[in-house]
Amino acid sequence: MDAVLVSQYLLSGLVIGVLYSLMALGITFIYSVMKMINWGMGEFFMIGSYVQYALIVTLLGPSRWWLAVPIAMASVFLLGLVVQRWLLRPMFVGGIERRDEYATVVTIAMMVLFRNLAIVLGGPNQYAPPDYAKPVQLITLPISGNRFVALIGTVVLLGLFFVVIRRTWIGRALRGAAQNRVGIQTAGVDVLRLDMVAFGVGVALAAGAGALLAPDFLVYPENGAISTFKGFEIIVIGGLGSIAGSIVAGVLLGVIEALGSVYISAAYKDLYGFLLLIGLLVFRPTGLFGERERTA
Amino acid sequence: MKPRAHTLLPTLLAVAVLVGGLAAPALAQKPVKIGVLTPLSPPGDAAAGQFIVRGAKMAMEDVNNRGGVLGGRKIELVAEDDSGTPEKGAAGFRKLATQDQVSAVVGQFHSSVAAAAQVLAEQYQIPLFLTQASAKGLTEKHLNYTFRTHVIDPDRCVLWTKWVKERGFKRVALITENTDYGTGLVEETKKAFASMLQGVELKTVIFDRAVVDLTPQMLDIKNWKPDAILNGGVGTPVYLIIKQAYDVGLYPAAPMLVSYDVPVRPEYWKTLGEKGNWISFVVYYHPTMKLPARGEAFRKRYIEQFKEDPIYGAFNGYTQVAMIADAINLAKSDKGEDVAKALLANKFEGWNATISFSRGEGPYWQQWSPPMLVVQFTRPEMPFADVKIHYPPEVKTGDWMPATK
Repeated sequence: MDAVLVSQYLLSGLVIGVLYSLMALGITFIYSVMKMINWGMGEFFMIGSYVQYALIVTLLGPSRWWLAVPIAMASVFLLGLVVQRWLLRPMFVGGIERRDEYATVVTIAMMVLFRNLAIVLGGPNQYAPPDYAKPVQLITLPISGNRFVALIGTVVLLGLFFVVIRRTWIGRALRGAAQNRVGIQTAGVDVLRLDMVAFGVGVALAAGAGALLAPDFLVYPENGAISTFKGFEIIVIGGLGSIAGSIVAGVLLGVIEALGSVYISAAYKDLYGFLLLIGLLVFRPTGLFGERERTA
Repeated sequence: MKPRAHTLLPTLLAVAVLVGGLAAPALAQKPVKIGVLTPLSPPGDAAAGQFIVRGAKMAMEDVNNRGGVLGGRKIELVAEDDSGTPEKGAAGFRKLATQDQVSAVVGQFHSSVAAAAQVLAEQYQIPLFLTQASAKGLTEKHLNYTFRTHVIDPDRCVLWTKWVKERGFKRVALITENTDYGTGLVEETKKAFASMLQGVELKTVIFDRAVVDLTPQMLDIKNWKPDAILNGGVGTPVYLIIKQAYDVGLYPAAPMLVSYDVPVRPEYWKTLGEKGNWISFVVYYHPTMKLPARGEAFRKRYIEQFKEDPIYGAFNGYTQVAMIADAINLAKSDKGEDVAKALLANKFEGWNATISFSRGEGPYWQQWSPPMLVVQFTRPEMPFADVKIHYPPEVKTGDWMPATK
């Protein structure tokens, strides 16, 4: 077995795993705070990639792609606030009995709406913004400049996210909401406002992934589907609600898929992740970093 | 009071005349519907579907401007999006057959979708036209209502095997998706290599159509050190293969041949930029071709309308709708069964030749094939008209060139 080649496969899996984890982080963050699954997460990834493409092609030009990324994230953050305020908040204030079903129906409807809007507005074709950077060598792995930029961008976003969550008041409030929604309300925190922030931040992370990966994975109406799919796999493997779990599971999934697709068959790439997931759930139903729910 | 016979009869007659008089023009004006079942959204090759719809619409306009069919009835197109998925294709065909009551259906692009739709075509006795679906099994089943005016995969694989032979490549990698089309390409290429090439190694990689990261596969192929790569992707995967092969330094160092004419679309350069240069690809039409009257008129009108050269899918969509209109007139009926009989019994003017459907051996059943040529881009943003044909030798207009830095 060629050691260089194996290291290339491992690195390639590691890179894609880190990129997947950004998406998973958004899903798990929204779940932790709002206790709901956003099935339309891939569409926020898709919107992020479209905004990025539009900004680079029409306003900013290819050299200022780095400016387009935060703008794309900010626009999707605002969209997330609007969606949460008008579509999801009734879940908590409207006396809705079946919250999970409500959230599922609303977010799936949103997914269909955004995907079809993209087809109507942008056409069904694919686009790609110009390359962000020239190809580079990452240890043994030849990698596109775009993917390298996406990797660095993801690490920066993950770092920022951790700093905000650990070191700021809003971060502490969000962690509090994730632990006990009622408890934090008794401490005088407006949990509905926190929900808005959590949803906005979660979808902005997905948009960031979409914007960073736009030149590599292309821009088209269904480009978020695969990332959402992987994101859900990751959060179950890592443990629902666990941020560290999302990152570790993302890397693990990326590496297993890379190795399986080369040494077994590329036609069943998605299967390897599921085998990992099933195997893990048998021995550890809460996922790698998940904890059993404490009930009174 | 009982009506008298001598007053009732004229009244009934008057009502019959009145109803008949009103209904006759209405019947005469009832349009003849033709379905266009094609991919108009992902994961199907939506751009291909759009070109097919363009061509089909232009044929409808031409037929209607000439007075329609069956003595004045207009043709009406009903477009359905199959999204490149068999389940949507089957639902779309069912809707076209039952709700819209179409006389025929054109536009099939993905072989997997066509396989699902052709079962229903038999059931509803409605001719189904394969516009760019090329899996050989589709016509090999010898069904009564499936017609194809497009190439079949064994011929495509023979063509690229000859292309490999002419270039003298000794190690060739074929990367393709896990669809009927992709797996068919693998099977037929293996057969063609075994029968036509001595001492040439073939490496095949089949990937999941939904996958977006092909880096491990590209690294694996690069490590195998191929002399050439055959790209069997359809739609978005074609671009992902080219882009990611370029990023790991595999392409254009190893030349690549794309299995169909996707690089001639305007979106090609927008998506790939300079990474798309040096690609070789199979086409069925070239702007320098001399066309018969129907094809030439279409080409001229297409350029006027869209300010770009027509694409093969548009030519084929146009031809199929025009041919169905001719068949309806010849059959003097818009019933699918009669249209199918007329299609088999007559010859029709196509975009580049006369088309007839015979019931030949194997996949050559109700099958008509256009020519296949191999061309190459040798500079970024190269217009299609400037692209040289380098294979087959009898129509060659230029030489294949290896990539230069």
